[in-house]
Amino acid sequence: MSELAAKAPTEAPAKPARRRLLASRLVPYLLLQALIVIATVLGLRLLQPSDPEDFALSGFALREDGLTRAVALPHFTSSRYALADPPFYTGAFTFRGGEAASGWSVFLPRFSNAVEVAVNGVVVLDSRRDANANRPDRNTPQIALIPTSLLREGGNEITVRLFVWGPLKGFLDTVYVGPDAALRPAYETRTLLFVTLPVVFSAWQAILAVILAIMWLMRRHEPVYGVLAAAMVLGVVQAFAPPPVPPATVSRLAAVLLASAPIESALIVVFGVLFFGWRWPRYGTLLFVPGVVVFVVGLIGGPPLPRILFLVLGIPTVGLCLFLMACVTATAVVRRQDAASFTIGCAVTIVLVCWIQDMLTVLEIATNDRIFVSRLSYSAMLVAIGAGLTWRFARALNQVDSFAGQLVTRVREAEERLKASFAREEERARAAALANERTRLMRDLHDGLGGQLVSIVALSERGNEGATITDAARAALKDLRLVIDSMDDIGGDLMLALGSWRERATAQLRPHDIALDWRVATPQGLPLHPELRPWHVIQIVRILDEAVTNAVKHAQARHVAVTIETRDGPQGPYGLISVTDDGSGFALAGNCEAAGAGQTARGLRNMRNRAARCGAVLDLSSDTSGTRVRLQLPQRFPDSDMAAG
Amino acid sequence: MIMTEQGETGEAITILLVEDDAPTCWRLQDALVKAGYEVRSAGTLAEARQALSVGAPCVLLTDLRLPDGHGIELIRETRQCFPDTEIMVISALGDEESVISAITVGATGYLLKDAFPTDIATTVRDLVAGHSPISASIARFIVRRTQGAAQNSAEPPRGPALNTARLTPREIDILWGIAKGFSYAEIASHLGLSRQTVPGHIKNIYRKLEVHTRSEAVFEAVQQGLIKL
Repeated sequence: MSELAAKAPTEAPAKPARRRLLASRLVPYLLLQALIVIATVLGLRLLQPSDPEDFALSGFALREDGLTRAVALPHFTSSRYALADPPFYTGAFTFRGGEAASGWSVFLPRFSNAVEVAVNGVVVLDSRRDANANRPDRNTPQIALIPTSLLREGGNEITVRLFVWGPLKGFLDTVYVGPDAALRPAYETRTLLFVTLPVVFSAWQAILAVILAIMWLMRRHEPVYGVLAAAMVLGVVQAFAPPPVPPATVSRLAAVLLASAPIESALIVVFGVLFFGWRWPRYGTLLFVPGVVVFVVGLIGGPPLPRILFLVLGIPTVGLCLFLMACVTATAVVRRQDAASFTIGCAVTIVLVCWIQDMLTVLEIATNDRIFVSRLSYSAMLVAIGAGLTWRFARALNQVDSFAGQLVTRVREAEERLKASFAREEERARAAALANERTRLMRDLHDGLGGQLVSIVALSERGNEGATITDAARAALKDLRLVIDSMDDIGGDLMLALGSWRERATAQLRPHDIALDWRVATPQGLPLHPELRPWHVIQIVRILDEAVTNAVKHAQARHVAVTIETRDGPQGPYGLISVTDDGSGFALAGNCEAAGAGQTARGLRNMRNRAARCGAVLDLSSDTSGTRVRLQLPQRFPDSDMAAG
Repeated sequence: MIMTEQGETGEAITILLVEDDAPTCWRLQDALVKAGYEVRSAGTLAEARQALSVGAPCVLLTDLRLPDGHGIELIRETRQCFPDTEIMVISALGDEESVISAITVGATGYLLKDAFPTDIATTVRDLVAGHSPISASIARFIVRRTQGAAQNSAEPPRGPALNTARLTPREIDILWGIAKGFSYAEIASHLGLSRQTVPGHIKNIYRKLEVHTRSEAVFEAVQQGLIKL
């Protein structure tokens, strides 16, 4: 009750507390992202490669659609879908041969989509030969050495044909003509940034894709790896699929693969959601619709449809996905406050800023010589994701380690406990066995030795009857030997017990001049009984003793014959021991109990009791020609004393 | 009439009886003297040693628990000093513990303290004639031990240490027969032996179970793998 009462008030302030927590976590994160935005913008400005402005040519005459006008580079031309009659730029530069020993080059830092450059009417560069140079999403520069023979001392003419295929507008950045040594470093810098680096990143992405795919294959229950691998594969395909130059007959598949960025970005969102341990909502599939539309329509319609759709549908989808991803990571940061969500969140912010920058560029709001940085910044996200995954992997390994350690400790503890309990159990079992054995021994000694000793005492007190005392003492000794003998482990072979008994019986009969005929009818004697226990042996030997004693005391026999054999019964072999004497026999009363007082009768009753306790069948017949005791052993001796109670 | 038992040389057979309980001693002495043996008796270990120093008896009958020591020592000394003397241990119960330990130091049989006088005389006569008596329970103990050694059981077997490694399969078969209560004749016919050779085999068994010296005991133990060097 008191717990409930205590809990109720804590419920109420939970929400404000949660809000406070949200604010205390979200605000710093957002501030950090703002800092990152600023850093990214500044970084992009710094990243802007510097060109050798001394050799810039920006004054050109543009002939387009039959009209000629003066333009200043960089210059945008209208978007077009036909390659015939491209915009034609004509410019002039001055060559002074004495200035530099090296040759002169023409350097085009940025153009879209392809250029053909001629100096004094001779073509020195055609970027259409290099498929990757024409990709609008890469900022590939071009440089061409101008053969010295073409150059004239003084004024020279340079013409540039700009091939444009929509939907983007054509673009021609400032053209540089000058000594190769002066232009080459700027070219190298741009190549490094915009050609080599993307290839390196793409290779990295390919490796990551393979690793993630293997992870997913080995751990199917974690689709997050599979999703990310698919995204990576798409990215790699985009990077390495050759972009077609329009007049060439091009595979439509290649065209649509190049426009697969929306699907890729949707996959990244799926990854984000799954990575942070949330369920992917069913309506989330809608995110794939634009990508699939671009893909299907592009596949059916063929170029330039994929490009147009990509611009109209794809790019905004990418932006939307980036925005969603930013929200997802922000939520994750608030909820989890861990390094992985922080890292990925920052990376997403960077990509988002770059995407906005590219949008501004496309819409010609920002003037930055039309350098697209989305693709490049995407690699920043890859770094972050790689780091996140590695972090998660390492943490999982640590958990496994500590779990294994705990497991080892626990197993050891359990083992100790088990050992202790086993030892306890063993001790208890040993104590129980000992107690049982003691009980048995007591009973056995009481049955035989005790009574005999008492009898000796009684006889001694009467002062005579030396022979009777002797008999009683001998009987006591014999019984003591029997008890000791029965303690020995005979391995279930009753024959071993009977062997000792034969000796004792022979010694007992010898003074009375009674011969003991010992006959083992079957070679092995009696069947083996692994379940045979000492108390069984004692009962059986006492039955046999009783039979022999009767023969001596009451029947005046001259021969006692013991026959041991194994017979085959319906349930298998069983042992049979017969003791036969040639004495005068005795009258068997119909009811032993009623016959009462006689010593013989008591002996007979004892024999039957003992046989019953061992599960054996005692058969007794007696007439004037002798007595026959037939003891049929059970197939299996009982575990517990049947008549012990 | 008193018959005097004589050895092969025609001399009277001398017996040294070592037993501290006077009535038992008298009883045994009576039975043996009646059978014609020349009996000296000793009640303690010291007396027995003194008697031995006078001269070697043909037969030594000794109890194990003596007031001033253990009969085992006496058996060992006698075995070393007088190899021709036959040694028997007197036991109240004929239990393996005492009999086997006596056998390992050189005894070749045992006599029950309550045996009938005729049986006492017969046993000693057989012993002098070279027939070592062996009981079913002793035979059983020995063959069970050979089984235990064969099974190489982890826990050490109960009772005194016993080296059964030198027993031949035939000797083990004989022991099995005795343990199961077969007579010498029955054993001989089962194993295809002559009835007369069985006692000799039994004497051999006793000799093989005897551990002569400490170093030999160690050697045997190593041979059986009981001790790892």
